[in-house]
Amino acid sequence: MRFPSPFSVLLLIAVMLSGCQREVDEELSNAQLELTITHQSGGAPLQLGTPYTNGLGETFTINTFKYYLSNLALVNGNNVVTIPDTYFLVDDETDSTKTIKVQVPAGTYTGLRMLLGVDSTRNVSGAQTGALDPVQDMFWTWNTGYIMAKLEGSSPLSSAPNNRIQYHIGGFAGTNSSLRTVTINFPAPVQVERTMQVSLIAEIMRWFDAVHPLPIAQTAVSMTPGPLAAQYADNYSKMFRLNSVLIP
Amino acid sequence: MKLRLTILSLMVLVLISTIGVQACRKKEMEVPKGPTPVSFDIPQGFPKPEYDFAGNPLTKEGIELGKKLFYDGILSADGNFPCASCHQQFAAFATFDHDLSHGFNDAFTTRNAPGMFNLAWRKEFHHDGGILNLETQPLAPITAKNEMAETVDNVVRKLRASTTYPPLFAAAFGDAEINSQRMLKALAQFVVTMVSANSKYDKVKRGAASFTQFEQAGYTVFQSKCATCHQEPFFTDGSFRNNGIGLNPFLKDGGRIRITGNAADSMKFLVPSLRNVALTFPYMHDGRFTSLQQSIEHYRSGIKQTPNLDPSLQLGIALTNSDIVNLTAFLKTLTDSSFINDKRFAP
Repeated sequence: MRFPSPFSVLLLIAVMLSGCQREVDEELSNAQLELTITHQSGGAPLQLGTPYTNGLGETFTINTFKYYLSNLALVNGNNVVTIPDTYFLVDDETDSTKTIKVQVPAGTYTGLRMLLGVDSTRNVSGAQTGALDPVQDMFWTWNTGYIMAKLEGSSPLSSAPNNRIQYHIGGFAGTNSSLRTVTINFPAPVQVERTMQVSLIAEIMRWFDAVHPLPIAQTAVSMTPGPLAAQYADNYSKMFRLNSVLIP
Repeated sequence: MKLRLTILSLMVLVLISTIGVQACRKKEMEVPKGPTPVSFDIPQGFPKPEYDFAGNPLTKEGIELGKKLFYDGILSADGNFPCASCHQQFAAFATFDHDLSHGFNDAFTTRNAPGMFNLAWRKEFHHDGGILNLETQPLAPITAKNEMAETVDNVVRKLRASTTYPPLFAAAFGDAEINSQRMLKALAQFVVTMVSANSKYDKVKRGAASFTQFEQAGYTVFQSKCATCHQEPFFTDGSFRNNGIGLNPFLKDGGRIRITGNAADSMKFLVPSLRNVALTFPYMHDGRFTSLQQSIEHYRSGIKQTPNLDPSLQLGIALTNSDIVNLTAFLKTLTDSSFINDKRFAP
């Protein structure tokens, strides 16, 4: 009879311990996705407080620009690997929010998918924390639900007090839902073993006219779920494009 | 030598695997130290609750923390407006004898504060159903300028800075971390325990009491003329309806339309529960009727033909004078005096 070698014993121990570990840590993910988002205005880095002219010829300035990205998923053809519990609030003012790091399973991927906003379930699942904490000032209290994207500033074309422009886009149910799925296709399948770096560009000018031309002179304010909010969601869902995919 | 090494490693394997299995098992069997679990009892005849207790298990310490928060002005901007300022136990947690309630800086609320009970079975909150989860409801009054006028951020900051709260959060949640989620979960734990199911009506249903002749006659009237909307056992069907009271010219409150944006929802409000109705006067979303008699009279003779008027109220409700007397007697059997005197809910 052959006794097991010390090596195989160690291997067994390792397997056993990792078996125990799995109960605590359900993640089987062994690679990392680093998603970086760069905000641009007219192709140049977005500067808060700087006057710009949108595609409709209107001058405006932005003071606040933030939005939720959630339900991140990696795509390989028809196969979608959803990364559990991914909720991020991207805030232009805070650079650290523009780099998102999540553990993902190693594999070959053809693209990235994300939900722009917070899924309907989390809108109605009671008190949340982290990126979804109401202290983030992205939650409507009287008509429960998350503000999916917020853009505030001013424009001489606005007739609102202090020429403000204020777009709080939300609504998670029915035909006026502002939830949008964004799919970013990679130029070629990417094989990830340890780390993948995906760099996206978000072009703020798209907010006003990517799908529906929405002049500031006509709508400087949108603060409730409805058809107008849904049109802004259509527009800003088109602001993302791929800059690069790298395997360092 | 080689054999010996192998035997040794085998022994090590057995030892470590024993420890490993023990470690795993210990994890499963470990009795967590901490808050004391509390069970939620469903009254006889009540259905399964809507509230997700699995996501916020009731504990003695959690409920106590929630009660302290409910009665503490720290949740408001100037310290004067705890939840309990508008939700008074002796009025079944409505505001006693107020059409509208008072908030920060002498402001009035825009709607009548409803009673609070049997919240575990509610799907929607507020007269317009704008709140879809019990846990997120307190955010509305806390941040409303005419109510508690605070920010969630500042409430959390004040709680963290206090000397009283960190140990209470630690007792309820295992560590002293204070955040809005824990605050809201604690509040939910307290208010969800406010169950009202011990009125005379309930005792009659359980066979522990009997109606008087008037009450019984009133119950019969109720069942044939009111129960479509005010369904037992909660005395509401949870729907939104226009009951023909007409637009309040000052408040201009369209009700449900504010939430849905749908013209068909204009002037619709949540059908309120009639439990404890004798205590929750004045009535309607704006508190315009001061008595039960006035409210019932509205359904007999006061229905205004407005768009979206509920089909069941097109012709009003035919009631004789004695029907009204009997109905009133029955409605008073819905008063749960053990609920309003329950020390568990008192400060």
